[in-house]
Amino acid sequence: MQEPILQARGLRFSYDGAARALDGVSLDIRAGDRLAVLGPNGAGKSTLFLCLNGVLTPDEGEILLDGAPVGSKERKRLCERVGMVFQNADDQIIASTVAAEVSFGPMNLRLPRDEVTRRVGHALEYMALEPLRARPPHDLSGGEKKRVSIADILAMESEVILFDEPGASLDPAGEERLEAVLARLSDEGKTLVISTHDMDFAFRWATRAAVFAGGRLIADGTPEAVFREDAALCAANLRRPVLLEVFELLRARGFVPERAPCPKTPAALEALLGAGDGKAARTVLEPGARL
Amino acid sequence: MQPSYGHGARSIDRLAYASGMGGWNPAFKTVLSLGTLIICLAADRPAVSAAVIASLAALQKFKGRLPLRDYLGLLRVPLVFLLLGGLAVACDLSPVPAGDWSLSLHWFYVCASADSVRFALALVLKALGAVSAMYLLALTTPACELVGVLQRAHLPMLLCELMYLIYRFAFVLLDTHDRMRGAAAARLGWRDFRTSCRSFGGTAGNLLVMSLRRSRAYYDAMAARGYDGGIRFLEEDKPFCRASALWTAVFWAALIALRLAAR
Repeated sequence: MQEPILQARGLRFSYDGAARALDGVSLDIRAGDRLAVLGPNGAGKSTLFLCLNGVLTPDEGEILLDGAPVGSKERKRLCERVGMVFQNADDQIIASTVAAEVSFGPMNLRLPRDEVTRRVGHALEYMALEPLRARPPHDLSGGEKKRVSIADILAMESEVILFDEPGASLDPAGEERLEAVLARLSDEGKTLVISTHDMDFAFRWATRAAVFAGGRLIADGTPEAVFREDAALCAANLRRPVLLEVFELLRARGFVPERAPCPKTPAALEALLGAGDGKAARTVLEPGARL
Repeated sequence: MQPSYGHGARSIDRLAYASGMGGWNPAFKTVLSLGTLIICLAADRPAVSAAVIASLAALQKFKGRLPLRDYLGLLRVPLVFLLLGGLAVACDLSPVPAGDWSLSLHWFYVCASADSVRFALALVLKALGAVSAMYLLALTTPACELVGVLQRAHLPMLLCELMYLIYRFAFVLLDTHDRMRGAAAARLGWRDFRTSCRSFGGTAGNLLVMSLRRSRAYYDAMAARGYDGGIRFLEEDKPFCRASALWTAVFWAALIALRLAAR
């Protein structure tokens, strides 16, 4: 199996000595993973991200980068290799123009000016922000600010990118654009970790899902497997993706082959129904037909 | 009030970003307005002041593409102050009639002479010229570029960083405040004086708590991008063009010539 790029081992963390936000979390992230981190609010997802990114120092446990532990003095190395997009874009944007904002990360990497200019240009183009480059952030819409906060991290060209609930507060068009960007990043070989409350998105997009509750990792595996672990879903108060529910319903009635894997998109489900034992499937697909 | 200039600092900021002179080199604009300001004050002639006011208004209109209405609207506030101040300079109080004109107010007289009126007018014009010169900078240059100029003028880094952050947070807090005001209004928070006082206290207190919470979030977000105690941004290169330097020289020479002619 491939060597993990980023590992957490036995992380424990608490804010100001209060209840533990992380209670012994171990997680391996492999290069090219599309990892969905699921769990209710307060499960420790954001805290885990801040630890993985080097902002917070865990009370116990360690972070490993390429298999080597990251000491407390090298946490800058984590920032360089692991980028994080915050949930609230307004908590992240500090500069007075979009271009200056995107340049903040690369400037902190102490890159030469030409390289910073190139990266800023590339990130702005990637997120379709070129026309807004001289605009002040307080002049942008919520969706535009979100794109700026993603461009911020793209400009740092880190291998692993953590997204803290990126879909929250986006409109459907914004969500669609976000998914296109995520797909493109994944194709380019980036390792993506996304915390989300959108089960349908997680099921469709992720190659791997991790469920958190009460500061612990309670399930980790392929989305198909994780969403069938009823105990974990119940403990984390999660619901199953609609597509999976529909698929199981169809399977129970014999509309789809017993052994077929659950399709990830409605189109894939349609293809499966078409390919399955013809008659039953067609009955379902005909308008007005009753199940 | 006109919505286009009805929101004070926020509208000045918006105008600065939208200005047609936004692409000019900010250091050049600073030199142009400071130089003009100094000439206007040093010349001390109504003709020069009037020339400065008229030419800068024309510059804002044609080069800055700022509608004259908006520009005059922005000038209106300082103008009211200047006129009131000018009135106090022009007029004198006296128990007996004096000067060229006097107005009896039963117990005393308000007097003015041709000289004092002329002096007051010259003063108002000069001050207005100075305000125009400052508006040239304020309405065409976003605050962050000004900080960049100051930074290059070797203002301590710490002060520049503070200015960047204060500028950004002022807008973040204004936004938060607007939302809280709206939320209070939706619950009849401003229905009478007592309730308004309570709502105001509530929003103000909340704003403090919010800013404390946010400062932590901002720090985390900055640390996540490798912040290590110095805030650095990439500044856009705004090339300085020789033609505009030439125009500036001609403009200043004309003002000085006017000063010499108006002896």
